[in-house]
Amino acid sequence: MFRSFLSWRYLLHRRTNLIGIFGVMLGVGALIAILSIMTGFLQQTRASVRGTLADFFVRPAPLMHSGDDSVEYEPERVLEIVRAEPGVRAATPQYSWYGMLVPGGVDTARTAELQSRPLDAQDNAMEVVGIDFETEATTTALDEALRRPPFRGHAVADPKQPFARPPRYKPDGLEKPRIVLGDALMGRLEVRRGEEITLLTAVFDPESRTLVGSNKGFIVAGSFRTKDNEIDSRRAYVEREVLADFLRTDARYTCVLVMLDDYEHDGERIRESLAKKLEAAKLIEGQSAEILSWEQMRQTLLGAIKNERVLMAIMLSLILVVACFSIFAILSMMVTEKRRDIGVLTALGATPRGVMHTFLMIAFWDALVGAVAGAVLGTWLAVKIDPFEKWLSSTFHVQIFDRSIYYFDEIPSVVEPLWVAVIVLGALLCALLFAAIPAWRAARMDPLEALRYE
Amino acid sequence: MNASTTTTPVLARPAVLAAHGVRKSFRVGDRELEVLHGVDFTLAPGEILALTGPSGAGKSTLLHILGLLDRPTSGTVTLDDASAWELPNEERARLRNRKLGFVFQFYHLISELTALENVLLPAMVGESTREYRSNRTRHEGAARGMLASFGLSERLTHRPAQLSGGERQRVALARALLYDPPIVIADEPTGNLDRATGERVLELLFREQAARKFSLLFVTHDDRLAARCERHVVMDDGVIQPRAAD
Repeated sequence: MFRSFLSWRYLLHRRTNLIGIFGVMLGVGALIAILSIMTGFLQQTRASVRGTLADFFVRPAPLMHSGDDSVEYEPERVLEIVRAEPGVRAATPQYSWYGMLVPGGVDTARTAELQSRPLDAQDNAMEVVGIDFETEATTTALDEALRRPPFRGHAVADPKQPFARPPRYKPDGLEKPRIVLGDALMGRLEVRRGEEITLLTAVFDPESRTLVGSNKGFIVAGSFRTKDNEIDSRRAYVEREVLADFLRTDARYTCVLVMLDDYEHDGERIRESLAKKLEAAKLIEGQSAEILSWEQMRQTLLGAIKNERVLMAIMLSLILVVACFSIFAILSMMVTEKRRDIGVLTALGATPRGVMHTFLMIAFWDALVGAVAGAVLGTWLAVKIDPFEKWLSSTFHVQIFDRSIYYFDEIPSVVEPLWVAVIVLGALLCALLFAAIPAWRAARMDPLEALRYE
Repeated sequence: MNASTTTTPVLARPAVLAAHGVRKSFRVGDRELEVLHGVDFTLAPGEILALTGPSGAGKSTLLHILGLLDRPTSGTVTLDDASAWELPNEERARLRNRKLGFVFQFYHLISELTALENVLLPAMVGESTREYRSNRTRHEGAARGMLASFGLSERLTHRPAQLSGGERQRVALARALLYDPPIVIADEPTGNLDRATGERVLELLFREQAARKFSLLFVTHDDRLAARCERHVVMDDGVIQPRAAD
């Protein structure tokens, strides 16, 4: 009986114990809050990346004629097989290419202004994706990205027809094709809707069968905003037929995007089945022919966030270890201070084990109070992080979380109860482990030495 | 109760606490220093005994061995016919809890607990949580009654730092008597008190002994106190000196 009673009393009457409690609370709270934010960040990133990537990518034929007449350069047969597969909700072809975008066109004054700025290859290099909008809209989340209010770009005039002629554009002679830019890309290039922009890239020369430099003018139709900054700052969409004609490759597409009804459940089965069927039809083969999942496509990013989460957990666990060290120090001090009490307890019939348990329980209460308070604080912070950050930003006039950089409307956060339980239990275990040495010392203390002390 | 006037044949009574051939040595550097040289000692039920002697005579060492706090190098200590140092640790702790009451010179109260809680401490130590909860009312009643009879009914919730020396020793006395032990060991119980306060504490101790009939072993330098005891044993140089008065 005395163990819990006395340990609780010691805890309440020694203010130094508050240091241990505060340390554990801080460690547990920070761990829960940061892990929740990182988990939210990971989930949000997965969701946004998935939205723009679809579930699978079928990358079939080489771009140029290899001499094999059986190679298909049109996506129809791939689409036919893919769409016939049970569990496939939609599929669309894409033509992905890389180049540089340089603002400029017919408006000479404006062009002069834009082109007077130094070109930065890193800023202007981007991916240009040729799409069939009708099927793209049903397969990926582009439709949604076109409707989302832009941060730095300008919305397209009609999200149902993003490649329609923009209101400001008055064709001077031959009407130029339209391009839709990522929100951040459009902001960086400082172009407006209806202005001309030039794509510089290398294209195939069918005669020499080599790459030659070429450029093509497009009219900016507007911007799209996904929740993935990388895509919004490095991607532009044009019509697939326009891009394929310009690039003059044999292949009219570079991949087919596939969206499933239930990726988590059927993903692997459908992937295997499609691989077999496409291989049998000789539509995928060799090194460049693959079916990749969206997770494989972005495994570097997702892996980095996961690694970052683990690293953060390790770093923040150090706070807990420091807090447990303080418990160790406080308890060691207390054992020395309480040597007389240890002698009295022994004289009153306490066993060394009972004495040890008493001191272990002080650490236990320390850690329990700290961990529970930390769990409440961490969970509260994780749930209220967005308004809390806004309050901090407005109070101190410092922008802590730049929503336009992270491309989230609010700071993501997901509190996982299992993690909270693991962290609380970890704190308790850690504290008990650190407390074991002073508690053992208390148990081994000679009661006579203790009683002689005054 | 003076040893020289008593007619009670105390040595004829069966001993409640006894030591036979107790030796105790300490290692000092690379040599053994023997401080008790084969001590034989008995304490009869209800007996009041004073153990006196000069400093360094081995009184405290013997007291600690008799109080089951220190293991003798050789010899036996018998408490209630059981050879105490042959018992397992837990059993010996239980004997200390139920059979022995300690009163120390420096009170040794736990500063975080109130007077009442300090008195209840032996019950908290000796009983499981469940046992203590079921006996709590009885223990609290006994503790409150004892503190009231010691003139401390207004001091139940006071902590040791808020009590005077005499009050602290009365709380310590109540703590020693909570389980109504058959033996009370008092190590210089008035050594830290002024004469009048010490006298008051002794009066209480003698009064309780007369009522409860426990055996009372004093270790003291106070010859006046020793003279009030039933038996007076003098130790010198690690042995008990023969006294005609005993």
